[in-house]
Amino acid sequence: MREHRIPNVDDDRLTLSGTRPAVCAVLAIAGIGMLVAGLVLGWNRGDELKGFLASYLVSFCFFLSISLGALFFVALQHLVHAGWSVTVRRLAEILAANTFCMAILFLPILGPMMAGNSSLYAWSNPAAVDADELLQWKQPYLNVPFFAGRAVVYFLIWGLMARFFLANSTRQDDSGDPGLTRRMEKFSAVALILFSLTVTFAAFDWLMSLEPDWFSTIFGLYYFAGAVVAFFATLILFALALQQVGLVTQTITTEHYHELGKLLLGFIIFWGYMAFSQYMLIWYANIPEESVWYLARQTGPWTFVSLGLLLGHLLFPFFGLLPREVKRRKLLLGAWAVWMLVVHWIDLYWLVMPTFAPEHLPFGLIDVCCILGVGSLFLAGLLWSARSRALVPVKDPRLDESLAFENF
Amino acid sequence: MTAIPVDDNTVQDPTRRAPLVLGDADLASVTQTVCEIAERPRPPTSWYVAFAVSVALTGGLFAAVGYLIVTGIGVLGNNSPVYWGWPIVNFVFWIGIGHAGTLISAILFLFRQRWRTSINRFAEAMTLFAVACAGVFPAVHVGRIWLVYWLAPYPNQMDLWPNFRSPLLWDVVAISTYGTVSALFWYLGMIPDLATLRDRATSRWRQLLYGLFALGWRGSATQWHRFEWAYLLLAALATPLVLSVHSVVSFDFAVAQVPGWHTTIFPPYFVAGAIFSGCAMVVTLAVPARAYFGLKSLITMRHLDNMNKLILGTSLLVGYAYGVEVFMAWYGGNMYEAFAFANRALGPYAWAYWLMVTCNVIVPQLFWIRKCRTTPWIMFLIAVLVNVGMWMERFVIIVSSLGRDFLPSSWGMFKPTAVDVMMLVGSFGLFFTLFLLFCRYLPMVAMAEVKAVLPPDRGPAPAVEVD
Repeated sequence: MREHRIPNVDDDRLTLSGTRPAVCAVLAIAGIGMLVAGLVLGWNRGDELKGFLASYLVSFCFFLSISLGALFFVALQHLVHAGWSVTVRRLAEILAANTFCMAILFLPILGPMMAGNSSLYAWSNPAAVDADELLQWKQPYLNVPFFAGRAVVYFLIWGLMARFFLANSTRQDDSGDPGLTRRMEKFSAVALILFSLTVTFAAFDWLMSLEPDWFSTIFGLYYFAGAVVAFFATLILFALALQQVGLVTQTITTEHYHELGKLLLGFIIFWGYMAFSQYMLIWYANIPEESVWYLARQTGPWTFVSLGLLLGHLLFPFFGLLPREVKRRKLLLGAWAVWMLVVHWIDLYWLVMPTFAPEHLPFGLIDVCCILGVGSLFLAGLLWSARSRALVPVKDPRLDESLAFENF
Repeated sequence: MTAIPVDDNTVQDPTRRAPLVLGDADLASVTQTVCEIAERPRPPTSWYVAFAVSVALTGGLFAAVGYLIVTGIGVLGNNSPVYWGWPIVNFVFWIGIGHAGTLISAILFLFRQRWRTSINRFAEAMTLFAVACAGVFPAVHVGRIWLVYWLAPYPNQMDLWPNFRSPLLWDVVAISTYGTVSALFWYLGMIPDLATLRDRATSRWRQLLYGLFALGWRGSATQWHRFEWAYLLLAALATPLVLSVHSVVSFDFAVAQVPGWHTTIFPPYFVAGAIFSGCAMVVTLAVPARAYFGLKSLITMRHLDNMNKLILGTSLLVGYAYGVEVFMAWYGGNMYEAFAFANRALGPYAWAYWLMVTCNVIVPQLFWIRKCRTTPWIMFLIAVLVNVGMWMERFVIIVSSLGRDFLPSSWGMFKPTAVDVMMLVGSFGLFFTLFLLFCRYLPMVAMAEVKAVLPPDRGPAPAVEVD
C-alpha cells in the first residue's frame, strides 16, 4: 500500500512575517518607475499615446484576469462546499483581493479618456461617432460617462466580494467559527451571479469595444476562460514560490499540485472550446461584419500569432499536462504554469493589438515596461495583503479533509 | 419491502459531511432493497397500467411513423419557410434530456461527488432511452427513409460522399458516438450488480441471462482493480462528449446565417440548456420512483436537493445566454438580428417565447427556497415545467427564426398536424416503456457503488490494494 502521511499544520511556517512594508513600497516605486518609462517612450512616438495605452491595456487585463480567476475560484469552492482546496484557498483569496489594486491601475485607462484622449477607444471620439451611424446607434451604451460608471460598479462589486471572502476567512483563523463558513457558502451563489455579469460586460467594454463595430456573444466567456487558466497557473507558481522560501511546505502537498494541474488542464480545454466555438461559427457563416475581426488576425504576421495560440495555448499544453507524472512534479508543473501565463499574455495581446497595428507585430520596449510595471505593482499589492495573515485558513472546519486529501 | 427509517440529511454543517445513505442500511439491506424490485415475480398492478399506457403510446408513435413513411413528409406540419418543424424540435429536446446521465455518471465522478452513486444508474438509463427517442426523428423526417444510410460515409460505386462540411453529418457522428459511449458506460458500471442478480437468481432463465451479461464477474480483487481503472478512463473519455454532442447540435443552427440562429454563444448555451433539461427529467423520474419502489433511504432528500441546485444553476446559465443574446441583438446593430428578437418577444409566437422564459428562467428561481428544494411535489411540478420550457425553447428557436427571416414576402406560420402531435406524444410513450422495463428487470441503483459510501461502521471492510 502507498505510504501516505497526513501532514500536520502545526509543523509549518505559515506567515510571511519577515516581509516589511518597505519591500512593498520598493516594488510599488519600481512599478511606477517602469510605467513612467513606458509612458515617456510612448509619448516620444507622437501617436497620442495610442501605442502605450494599448500595451498598458494588455498588461492591465492580464493581471486583472488573474485576480478575477481567483475570485471565481474562491466563490466556487464555497458554493460546492469543497474540502480538498482548503489549504490553497487563502492564496486564492489574497490573489482575489488584488482587485483593489487593479481598480487604481484602471485610472491610466480612464483618465486620458475623461481628458478627451480617444486614441484607445474609437467610439469615445465625437468626430468618429458623427461620421458613423453604427457608432451613433451604440452611443447609449458606448459613451465615456456610462463606461466610467460601469467600471466603478465592476470594481466595487469585485473589490467588496473579494474583501468579504478574505475578511471572513481571516476572522475564522482566530475564532474557528463554522458559522463563518456557512456565511460565505450562502453568499457564494449570489457572488457568482454578480461575477459572471460583471466579467462579461467588463470584457465587452474593455476589450470587445476596441473594435466598436464587431460583436460576439461568447466574448465574455472567452475572457473568463483565459482568466481561470491564468489564475490556476499563478496559484501553482505562488505556492511553489512560497515553498521555495520555506513556507507552507507541509500543508500544500503533491496531491494539491496534482489537483491544480488537473484543473489547469481542464480550463485549457475549456478555453479551447470557447476559442473554437467563436472562430468556427464566424468562419463558417462568413458574414463580413463578423469575419473582419478574424481577417485582421489571419493576415500578415498575425497569422502566426493565431496559429501559435492554437498550438501554444491548446495543443502543446493539452498533451504536456496529460500525464499524471507531469502534474505531480513541481518543476514540470511550474514550467507549464509559466508557459501558460506567457501564452495567456499573448492571447490578450492578440485580442488588443491587431486593432492598432494590423500590418506588423508592434512588440517592443513599451510592452516590457508595461508588463514589469503593472506586474511589480500587482506583486506589491499581493505581498501587502499576504503580509499580515496566515497563508492557510488554519481553523477552517474542512482543513483536516484537505490535509488528508488524496487523488484517485 | 425493507423499511428503513428516513431522517433529514439536507442540513448543511461545515464540520461534518452529511450521510449519503440514511437509516440503518448495511451491505445486506442495500442488496436486498435494490434486488427485490427486479426479483418480484409480479410487479404491482400500477406498473402494468403504466406499462400498458406507455406501450399504447409507443404504438401510436410507430403508427404515425409508418403513415409518414408510406405517405411522405407532407403529413407533417413542415412547410415553406418552416422547413424544420416539430421533428427537429423533438430531436433536440430528447438529445438534451440525454445529457444529465453522462453528466452525473462521468463529470460528477471526476469531481468526486460521491452522492452521484445513488442516482447515476437510472440517470444513465434515462440518457440511453432519451437518445433512442431522439434518434427516431432525424431518421424519419428525411423523406425517403430507405435512403437514410446515405448519411453515413461509406465507400461506394457512385463515388458519392456526404458533405463533410455539413453539421448534419457531424450530428450523425456525434450522436452515434454519444449513444455508444453512454451505453458502454452504463453497461460497464452495471456488471458487478448483474453478477449479484445472477447469484441471487432462482430460475434457470434468470441465471442464464444475468449470467450471460455479467460476463463471468467474480468480484475478485484483480477484477475490481481493473474495473475501477476502466471506469475512470471511460469517465474521462465520456466527459468531453457531454460538451461536444450538444455543441454539435447547436452548430446545426449557429453555422447558418439565419437571424436568431447565428450567434457565437450557441455551443455552451445549448450544453447548459441540455444539462438543465436532463436534470429536470431526472427529478421528474426520481421523485415518483423513489417513493414507489421504497428507495427513500438510498435516493435521499439530499440527492434531490443537490439535483435541484443543479437545475437552479443551469437555469441561471440559460438565463445568462438569453440575456447576452438580447443585449447583442441590440448592440450588434444588425436590423435582422434585432428584428428576430423583437419578433420572438412581441410577434405571433410571443406566447411561446414568454412561456419559455417563465418556465426556464423564472420558475426555477423557486429553488432558492429550501422548502421548494426539499418538498417532492413542488420539485416535481417545477421539473415538469422546466421540461415544458425547454421544449418551447427549441420550438421558439426553430419556428420563430425560420418563420420570419429576411424577406417579409416569404414569411409564414407553422401549424402542427395530428401526425406531429402523435409523434411527440408517442416518443414519451417509447421513453416510458423503456424506462418501465428497465425498472422491472435491471438494478435501478448501483448497489456496489452505494455500498462504498455507507457509513464506515456498516461499510465494506477496508480494501486490500494489489500492486
